[in-house]
Amino acid sequence: MEKKYFKSIEELRVDTSRTIDIHAKGDKHFILQAEKESAALPPTSRRDFLKAFGFTIASAAVVSSCEQPVRKAIPFLIQPEGIVPGKASYYASTFFDGIDYCSVLVKVRDGRPIKIEGNNLSSVTKGGTNARTQASVLNLYDNIRYKNPLKEGAESSWDLVDGEIVSKLRQISSRNGKIVLLTPTIISPSTKAAIAEFVAAFPGAEAVTYDVASASGMLQANELSFGKAFIPSYRFDKADFIVSFDADFLGSWLSPIEYTKLYMQNRRLTDGKKTMSRHIHYEGAMSLTGSNADYRIQLRPSQQKLALAHLLNELKRLSGQPATQLPAISHDMSDLASNLMKHRGKALVVSGSNSKDEQLLVNEINHLLDSYGNTIETDVELKTRQGIDSKMATLVDEMNAGKVAALLVMDVNPAYDYPKANEFAEGLKKVELSVSLNFAQDETSALTTYVCPDHHYLEAWNDAEVKTGYYSLSQPAIRPIFNTRSAQESLLRWSGNTDDFRHYIQNWWEKNLFTANDQHLLFTSFWNQKLHDGVYESAKRETDPYVYNPLPAEAVMQKAAAATLPDSIDLVFYTNVSVGTGKHANNPWLQELPDPVTKVCWDNYLMISPKLAGEMGISDEQLVEVNGLSLPALIQPGQEYKTLAVALGYGRQNAGVPANGVGQNAYALLQAEDGNISYVLSGVTPNPQSGTFALARTQTHHSLEGRELLRETTLEEYLEKPNAGNEAHEKAEHHMKTLYPPVEIDGLHWGMAIDLNACTGCNACVVACSAENNVPVVGKEQVMAAREMHWIRIDRYYKGDEHDPEVIRQPVMCQHCDNAPCENVCPVAATTHSNEGLNQMAYNRCIGTRYCANNCPYKVRRFNYLDYTGADAFKGNRYDPTEMTTDLRRLVLNPDVTVRAKGVIEKCSFCVQRIQDKKLQAKNENRQLRDGEIIPACGQACPADAIVFGNLNDKNSKVSQYFASERNYHLLEEIHTLPSVGYLTKVKNRTV
Amino acid sequence: MSSKFTSTRHLKRVISLFLFLGFLLIDFSSGAQTPEAEKNFQQCRACHNLEGPKLIGPSLVEAIKTREQDWLIRFIRNSQEMVAAGDPFAVEVFEEYGKIPMPSHNLSDDQIKDILKYIEAGGKVDPQYAAQAASEQPVKGETAAVEQDTADEQMLALESQANRNNGTTFIITLIVMLALLTDLFFTKWLKWKYVHITLLLVGLFVLGQVTYREAAAIGRQQYYQPDQPIDFSHKVHAGQNEIDCQYCHSGARNSKSAGIPPVNVCMNCHNLVKKGTLTGTAEIAKIQEAWDNGKPIEWIRIHNLPDHVYFNHAQHVNAGKLDCAECHGDVKIMSQVMQVNDLSMKWCLDCHRKTEVQFANNKFYETYEKMHEQFVNGEVKKVTADMMGGSDCMKCHY
Repeated sequence: MEKKYFKSIEELRVDTSRTIDIHAKGDKHFILQAEKESAALPPTSRRDFLKAFGFTIASAAVVSSCEQPVRKAIPFLIQPEGIVPGKASYYASTFFDGIDYCSVLVKVRDGRPIKIEGNNLSSVTKGGTNARTQASVLNLYDNIRYKNPLKEGAESSWDLVDGEIVSKLRQISSRNGKIVLLTPTIISPSTKAAIAEFVAAFPGAEAVTYDVASASGMLQANELSFGKAFIPSYRFDKADFIVSFDADFLGSWLSPIEYTKLYMQNRRLTDGKKTMSRHIHYEGAMSLTGSNADYRIQLRPSQQKLALAHLLNELKRLSGQPATQLPAISHDMSDLASNLMKHRGKALVVSGSNSKDEQLLVNEINHLLDSYGNTIETDVELKTRQGIDSKMATLVDEMNAGKVAALLVMDVNPAYDYPKANEFAEGLKKVELSVSLNFAQDETSALTTYVCPDHHYLEAWNDAEVKTGYYSLSQPAIRPIFNTRSAQESLLRWSGNTDDFRHYIQNWWEKNLFTANDQHLLFTSFWNQKLHDGVYESAKRETDPYVYNPLPAEAVMQKAAAATLPDSIDLVFYTNVSVGTGKHANNPWLQELPDPVTKVCWDNYLMISPKLAGEMGISDEQLVEVNGLSLPALIQPGQEYKTLAVALGYGRQNAGVPANGVGQNAYALLQAEDGNISYVLSGVTPNPQSGTFALARTQTHHSLEGRELLRETTLEEYLEKPNAGNEAHEKAEHHMKTLYPPVEIDGLHWGMAIDLNACTGCNACVVACSAENNVPVVGKEQVMAAREMHWIRIDRYYKGDEHDPEVIRQPVMCQHCDNAPCENVCPVAATTHSNEGLNQMAYNRCIGTRYCANNCPYKVRRFNYLDYTGADAFKGNRYDPTEMTTDLRRLVLNPDVTVRAKGVIEKCSFCVQRIQDKKLQAKNENRQLRDGEIIPACGQACPADAIVFGNLNDKNSKVSQYFASERNYHLLEEIHTLPSVGYLTKVKNRTV
Repeated sequence: MSSKFTSTRHLKRVISLFLFLGFLLIDFSSGAQTPEAEKNFQQCRACHNLEGPKLIGPSLVEAIKTREQDWLIRFIRNSQEMVAAGDPFAVEVFEEYGKIPMPSHNLSDDQIKDILKYIEAGGKVDPQYAAQAASEQPVKGETAAVEQDTADEQMLALESQANRNNGTTFIITLIVMLALLTDLFFTKWLKWKYVHITLLLVGLFVLGQVTYREAAAIGRQQYYQPDQPIDFSHKVHAGQNEIDCQYCHSGARNSKSAGIPPVNVCMNCHNLVKKGTLTGTAEIAKIQEAWDNGKPIEWIRIHNLPDHVYFNHAQHVNAGKLDCAECHGDVKIMSQVMQVNDLSMKWCLDCHRKTEVQFANNKFYETYEKMHEQFVNGEVKKVTADMMGGSDCMKCHY
């Protein structure tokens, strides 16, 4: 079987697998950068040398004669009980930003939150996180947060703005003027109660829900099919046959953390499991989920509705119902239909479309497949999307017609992300009273008269009901940094309720939840327990709305029969796993996160298929104009011929550094179809322009050199022969002969196993690692020069041809080789081996020769070319285009990890600080370490549980069992570096 | 100190030994008062006398007779819980002693029983342990100890002074060398040139030595002894009053930093103790002032490690069972605390190389199977921190 792997189109076409081509993209950037930098520096003259020499002598003299600075040690006045300086505490909380939900633990050191971890007690997210959840702690220290309430852009006081707002609201209400409170989906029952109180206090007030990532098509379809607008629970763990029509459920669709956990339960082959689900994915643009599917089938989004209709037709035919005559499409659905029928009751079909019609067809398909009650639960609703797009459109029309007298904006930013943002801005001018309750500077708050800044979620009390009966709480992990007030409290104040929001939540819980619980007799003990756990999962279920009405779907079929198939180019709008909808765009960690598919960071771009690009003569990074938006083209292998794609969430104008001006805002191109925002635009014409725009991409920075880094097989082959695809491992083991004494480690020998079958490439680990280890952010210029600093990277490889490749991903961090090539080339012994098998890096000993980085076959060592962190003694040396080194943002640094200065190498340490911490805990408790007790930040963050860490000397540990598996192999094991990281082969459930 | 007991002292010991043995026969279940009890009792001592006048709390020998053991255990472990639960006697005690809550203590039943025994015995360790301790540690007379302390403190001062004379040595050597050079080329008083040359070489050596020492000490603060905002004396607190270090520096047991006591801990005692033996009321008033104004005291930090060093007190104090004095010197004799060690990497490593870990006592080390085997076989006599990876870079630098 011929396996041809490639990481970029250039590599495939030029075939650099054997020869190193310095003109390949990444290297070219690097050389250009080096030239640019050296050109910027004046040549060194003799006088400069003497100056520098003199300065060195002088500074040495000054330093040696100086007294040490006086450092102070200031204790608490009254030390709060349970708080020990220097020791971290964890508080359970809930992250919900209107899009993603995650139950979390907040690590607090000396009064400041520094890290987010998943909460294992939640049975929704089960300890998993995603990139945005991990990065949310940095938003707490965002430079652009409001420090005080504002009136007309000038800082004001709460008393003043409260007084003015209340009197205006009363005035408007008394003359029956319309007051609108615009919110994202609210899943907090207490907040809903507070909003209800506000609405009741001001007759004429109304709350409107506006979802940026909308699911209103699905809500409306379910209302027609079942008589109730809701989103059911999808049980990917129960499905053996999953068909997704452009639903990116591992990346951005509805509840990705939950779905990744469930999906992987039925995909993992560890613990002796012999079966896995089969996942078939139809899509136009390549998504995270599509690239993880067993079969990825290209389907132009504008043909999706017809494809669904055809599938339904085939299913009807199989179940003996009359079929409808439909226009033909290029895809034959009969095979898929019979496969689905075979898995009836264990099949699941989902669609990511926001079109009501398509969702109706999907409902009918799932109905025919008996999915309801099996793989779809209708009595447990997912509550994270409640907005109906047409209501927002009505509101904007009313604003422009002058019918809205007061608009209160809470945690939404329509002036940026509403497709008709200009109309919204125009309408806002006609509103008498405009108030923003957003927590940081944005496009909408810049237009409102008043800004009443909300707390960050880590400073506030809140609660949530993410799914029916699944409650969780948020609690403050830090005192409010600025003069802010929780938005709910603002609403309560204005409605005349002086209660604080914590008390308000407690009341709600006591009245509504405590009474139904059967474990606690006292409310205090109930509350304390739930606050400690962060979650409360009651047995509450919805009355099952499952009475299926097939008529609406039938009507759609009739419509589809009459449809004509356009042969135009489609433009797909998607949200990626990093900045998402753009709400968190001012988060440097997220901006620098390479996209899991394209490996580009710091920009959005126009994804275009190789064939179309060839036809139109568009080259990579050439500027292309499409519907008024000028974007650099990115030729994407596997993209459907006539599908273009662009990420939303970029092009912020008023979001601070670094978000401002990064990428282009594509929201303006969105159009409504049937009242719902459509994330596909048909009939676009791309116009190639003359200029180019350089993109920062990380994948081309290293070269594969034709080696067997990736090993994969299919389920069939695996069942036949467990080491299928991994034959080279045995060969390498066989040849493992050495003149050196064998490496013997007594006691603890740390190792990590990565299940390539589980890793989806979601990037949560990358952000978690940055947060845990103070990894610097370097900015676009430096990434283009191949100087990104991430300690863990997720390599993405294509296999096959450029038009329809398979995708495989592989997380790579320092392999902690027991026979490490980096160690024996260091002239100053700055990198050595520990007695626990760790490859250690002593920053203060490093003199920056970079021999180690050159000699590392895995290219995981990172060099601080510039002073990215502000650790350098000389302020002028600092290089910080992303404003990560402001005093405020530096509060996120982990005090247990050294902040590296310019000129030293750094790399993955296996989170040695976490190892040492748990070891100490075991010593203090007079016991041995337990397996699974130590989890590095990457493994903790992983929603797919792909990373396992433990003691290799303990034969019963999970990591030892993984290492003993026949699927296990090591990267470049043939060169005898003896890595402590093992990979389990990727197994796809497909027939070759 | 082997055989110089006076006869009466000897007699007392014998009698008490019999008494205690008799006691043990009566009550086996509660165990004996061990040296650990004495150590734990240091926490009690901060607020309680054994006999005589009451301090913040009641004097203990009488007090513990009034309640049953079970009640006492509960009260010692968490008095506030009992007060909150409305235990009448607990509330009465709480009210009587000015509503100053007794802090909760994380001690096991046996440990508390042990302490109660110790109190009952009037603050004496069981003779079997006492004898052991006596053979290890010479007994000093009270006054002799104080004299010795003062002498030690002066020694320390002299030592630090001697170290500061490097600069003078450097200048004197330089002057001598200049004089020699002048004589060598111009004045020519001394006829034998080899004298000049030998002395110049010696001078160069001295200059080199001084330069090296000074350069190595850059960033180090050995003998640093700043004036603190309050003239607080460890000699009085830790020395004469024998308050346990960890009563105030409670973080040392379970945290990275030992911690400077918050003002509320000072106030535990200084609520009542308003006059000091040396400074009168002036210095203690500053605590009260801080308390009243709600402003914490800004102490000067003495022991500083560079940012790239990770040091954890719990590792050394709790897991390693080291005495505070091993690194901080004999704080008990310091009126004003001084950094006695240079806290250099060499100093750390030297200690790691010779200090044994709790290999036999801590179950954690059972993971090291091979080493354990060798230890049990007697092939390895002692397991030092170094042998457990204590000189690996990433034990302190990460």
